[in-house]
Amino acid sequence: MRLEKGIISSSQLMFLVAGYVLGSVLVAAFTNTVTKQYTWLVVLSGLAVSIPLALVYVALTRKFPGKDLVQINRIVYGPYLSKLVSALYIWFFCSIAGFMLAYLSQTIKDYMMPETPLFAICILFTCICAWTVRNGIEVLARTSVIFVMIIIFVILITFFLLLKDMELTNFLPFFDLSLKDFIQGTHIMMTLPFCEIVVFLMLFPYVNKGVETKKSVILGLLIGGGSILIDTVRNTAVLGVASTIMISPSIESVRLIDLAEIITRLEMLVITLLLIAMFIKVSVMYYGTVLGIARLCNLRSYRQLVLPIGSIIVSLSMMTFDSLAQSNDFATRTGPFFTLVFEFSPVITLLVAKIRKLPK
Amino acid sequence: MIFLLTITFVAIGLFEAPALVRNKHWRELTVFLVFFLLAFTLALLQTVGVKIPNPIKGVEHLIKDILKISYR
Repeated sequence: MRLEKGIISSSQLMFLVAGYVLGSVLVAAFTNTVTKQYTWLVVLSGLAVSIPLALVYVALTRKFPGKDLVQINRIVYGPYLSKLVSALYIWFFCSIAGFMLAYLSQTIKDYMMPETPLFAICILFTCICAWTVRNGIEVLARTSVIFVMIIIFVILITFFLLLKDMELTNFLPFFDLSLKDFIQGTHIMMTLPFCEIVVFLMLFPYVNKGVETKKSVILGLLIGGGSILIDTVRNTAVLGVASTIMISPSIESVRLIDLAEIITRLEMLVITLLLIAMFIKVSVMYYGTVLGIARLCNLRSYRQLVLPIGSIIVSLSMMTFDSLAQSNDFATRTGPFFTLVFEFSPVITLLVAKIRKLPK
Repeated sequence: MIFLLTITFVAIGLFEAPALVRNKHWRELTVFLVFFLLAFTLALLQTVGVKIPNPIKGVEHLIKDILKISYR
């Protein structure tokens, strides 16, 4: 039976995927500490590696039309093992929502409101996400269209305003990157912004035309990846190697915009961008968690779970990271392996389904 | 703080539970209560200041020290 009454169109799905990928536009700067001025290169290679995985996710939903991740697990792995796999996935979605919320609140605390307690920002933000999730997927999909337009507009306008500050010599020397750093950077880029779209396996059943899912997911990934590329190129061109020691190079580079001393201090634009993009990302993760739990326990509706799960996400975000440096350390060293396990296992699910000749 | 927290959670309970009881959705009510109590315990422990074991430290320990596959 259907938990969600709403239906989204494939173009809305495209914008939702793009907004979801753009949610990590500032988080992607973590890679700077590893790959220095070659971050643009690993953005491209990460995007290239993540497209086959996205195709696997789409292939999985095509094999089981109208089924979400928990139901697919149930068919493929049987009634008992599937409970464990699905519970792990739900924990993964929940914890990623917590990390993203922690990153957002730490950034706002560091750059805008140093005196405000962290939990105030977390709770206010989660309230808005909870309201959206309670109203269903349609609301989220419709807002994402407007929000992605705003995000892309902000990225482009800051790029053009910073053109006179850019020095292309910052990209030199070309390709002086060791293979180990390149692999690590690609791994971070693949797992952190792009392949987290594994949560969309919970949302694919609610797209009206299942046939066009593939096109919209790939286009969404390309839009999101292109915007992240423009952002990283701007940061490196403006700041050079200095961007590697900054926690948030986007804010630092946009701070330099100075047009005849009238248009200055545009870093608020970046914070707005962060808020909007994170709203889409956290809401989708939150929605995936709530829907997954409702599906796992065979419930008739997911609405009553929204507020308790929101409270758990706030608690998680409060206790996981104490500072941005700590989340940077996790995201560059151990985080990629942790997320890769969850992002790669749909491939195993697809293989097992092929071997067992499912669905019969 | 504890007072505010309790009021918030009581409000959440009163907001969700009556409709479930009226429609006799007992299964939904059970799952709701489990997560509600889990959320309340977590929030209460954090407000009082008890150190809760950080799940990320556990994941880091698993990957770094037991599996030894992390980047340096």
